[in-house]
Amino acid sequence: MKAIPDPAVLEETRGRASNWPFRSVLIANRGEIAVRILRTVKALGLEGVVVYHAADRKAPAVQLADRAIEITGATPVAAYLDAQQILAAAKSSGAGAIHPGYGFLSENAGFARAVAEAGLVFVGPLPEQIELMGDKVRARAFVAKGGFPVAPSAIEDDDPATFVERALKVPFPLLIKPAAGGGGKGMRIVREAGQLKAEIERARSEGQRYFGDGRLYVERYVENPRHIEVQVLGDAHGNVVHLFERECSVQRRFQKIVEETPSPALDASLRTRICETAAGIARKAGYRNAGTVEFIFGAGGAPGAQSGAGNAEFYFLEMNTRLQVEHPVTEMITGKDLVLEQLRVAAGEKLGYSQEQVTSEGHAIEFRVYAEDPARGYTPTTGPVLALRQPVGEGVRVDSGIVEGQDVTAAFDPMLAKLIVWGRDRTEAIDRSDRALTGYALLGCVTNTAFLRRLLRHPAFVEGQVHTGFLDAHPEIAATPALDSATLHKLLAAAALSTRPMRDVADSVPDLHAAIGGWSN
Amino acid sequence: MHHAFKLGEAEYNLELSRGAGGYRLHVTDGSVPVNLRAEDDGHAILTVDGRSERVLIAVRGDDVFVHLGGTAYQLRYEHPLQRLAAQSHGAAEDQIRAPMPGSLVAVHVKVGQAVARGETLLVMESMKMETTIAAPRDGVVEAVHFEKGQTFDRDALLLSLAQQA
Repeated sequence: MKAIPDPAVLEETRGRASNWPFRSVLIANRGEIAVRILRTVKALGLEGVVVYHAADRKAPAVQLADRAIEITGATPVAAYLDAQQILAAAKSSGAGAIHPGYGFLSENAGFARAVAEAGLVFVGPLPEQIELMGDKVRARAFVAKGGFPVAPSAIEDDDPATFVERALKVPFPLLIKPAAGGGGKGMRIVREAGQLKAEIERARSEGQRYFGDGRLYVERYVENPRHIEVQVLGDAHGNVVHLFERECSVQRRFQKIVEETPSPALDASLRTRICETAAGIARKAGYRNAGTVEFIFGAGGAPGAQSGAGNAEFYFLEMNTRLQVEHPVTEMITGKDLVLEQLRVAAGEKLGYSQEQVTSEGHAIEFRVYAEDPARGYTPTTGPVLALRQPVGEGVRVDSGIVEGQDVTAAFDPMLAKLIVWGRDRTEAIDRSDRALTGYALLGCVTNTAFLRRLLRHPAFVEGQVHTGFLDAHPEIAATPALDSATLHKLLAAAALSTRPMRDVADSVPDLHAAIGGWSN
Repeated sequence: MHHAFKLGEAEYNLELSRGAGGYRLHVTDGSVPVNLRAEDDGHAILTVDGRSERVLIAVRGDDVFVHLGGTAYQLRYEHPLQRLAAQSHGAAEDQIRAPMPGSLVAVHVKVGQAVARGETLLVMESMKMETTIAAPRDGVVEAVHFEKGQTFDRDALLLSLAQQA
């Protein structure tokens, strides 16, 4: 496995960092990502400052930071969204740069602008780039104008008189959606041209009924779609590279659970095409800092049909203008420390390497450890972290936002930690992941680790045949399996021997009776 | 058997006694020799019927958490007196508990108010979704334990109905 970062790169960057426009970085985030960013900030010899809400007082980032400044809010989340308090904390602590992490203020153009106006460096793209990509309609038009693939579509409003005619030009199957829609209501899949008119009428009446608006649009429907995204990195001097793709198709409620790289769905030529498309989009936007271009990917043809690279299709979905939760898998195969690269770019440095110099080695998988109960519809769980043991081993990395003694509350997103595992190939990565998940022990709050192991061993996952609807199609993976009697006896023994009243009763019986008692049944 | 643990929805009766060199666990379908020895690193060695393995155990009140074979389990010790009380009252319908962690968005009833089965009592929010909590039976509201805006954990007691005569 490659070292992250290459020790020589760290040493050289550390040397130059003494001349950077900032010597102290405030992290406007919490949990595992605050710890992750702090690690690199400190490795570069910079000062790391965090803001925290009282609910996070015991969090590892607060312990690890050189300085921690408490912020308040109507709710804990509101505190981390309060730009004024965060800017004030940056001022009072003398921080010269703000790293927003992901979520919270990371894709808020107004915040990025306010940071710059306060004379501080925002570790992220330019406000205009956040705005462009944050507006899904503008972003799509921008990408299409550049000649990059967006899902073919026809919008009724563009010219109602020619709607059907234009819809027929979109390659089948199609998806009809109400223009005012959401939540999957009123959507209809059309597989043959002959059905189009009738389905448009049905969709229109459904749209009218659900949303009081019968206007429609039609787009290409991708069967069993995969979510594949590409990491890009740009500097302030016009250089852009990609750092390969990530497959993020295992999702529940549209949220990713497992991410890996390389994608098992891509062959070498498709991989090159999708990665170069992403880099092209970023280059056209003059993109600065780390970002991710997301694509919807279809292998082509009906499920189970012979699907070769020839039928494959992918379309631009959106661009995320921040560091992603799943960035570690990219780090594991490229050896690039993405936070270090972000800080270099923010300091005005050139990337200093070409696309050819970015190489990929082995296979990496990330598992999101959530405080949730998959068997109860993935509802969040809470509780004290009474005991926590994290796996160690070759190729195993844990990015954790919790420590023993902390409480898991409903105040924040339920992600507790990420387990990232690298192997020389996908098979080795899966084997090591199974071992690592087995060794991840958190007691006091239900987590999804046992579910992640069932998912990992599912034949469809092992074969790399997973799409975004996979978990909905296989609810049995989320169900708690029945206990065998040997396991049940072990659990009851462990519980009985750990319960004071039971041990006391047993110990109070004289030995002679105990011996007789031993013959029972 | 006087002792019991709850695991998921199931309840298991059991007894513990001293045995040669350790203990014996008595369950409804027989008994096995068992032992538990703490290790220096916080783990423990659990031995059941002569076979040993490493486990991680944490206890909090009546809850026993066990990490065994890569999976975490939670068992709850059922106090003999409480079990008796629960059996005689059939109290589940008197105590309205949170189905999941969240916060209270609306309280539709007042203490002393008579409610009909199916009537909305509370509205809670979890994962950005609202869930309505309805009366499980006809009755009178005895207490509302949280105020609008407050957050709670799963199984928190949200509202009590007066016991029926």
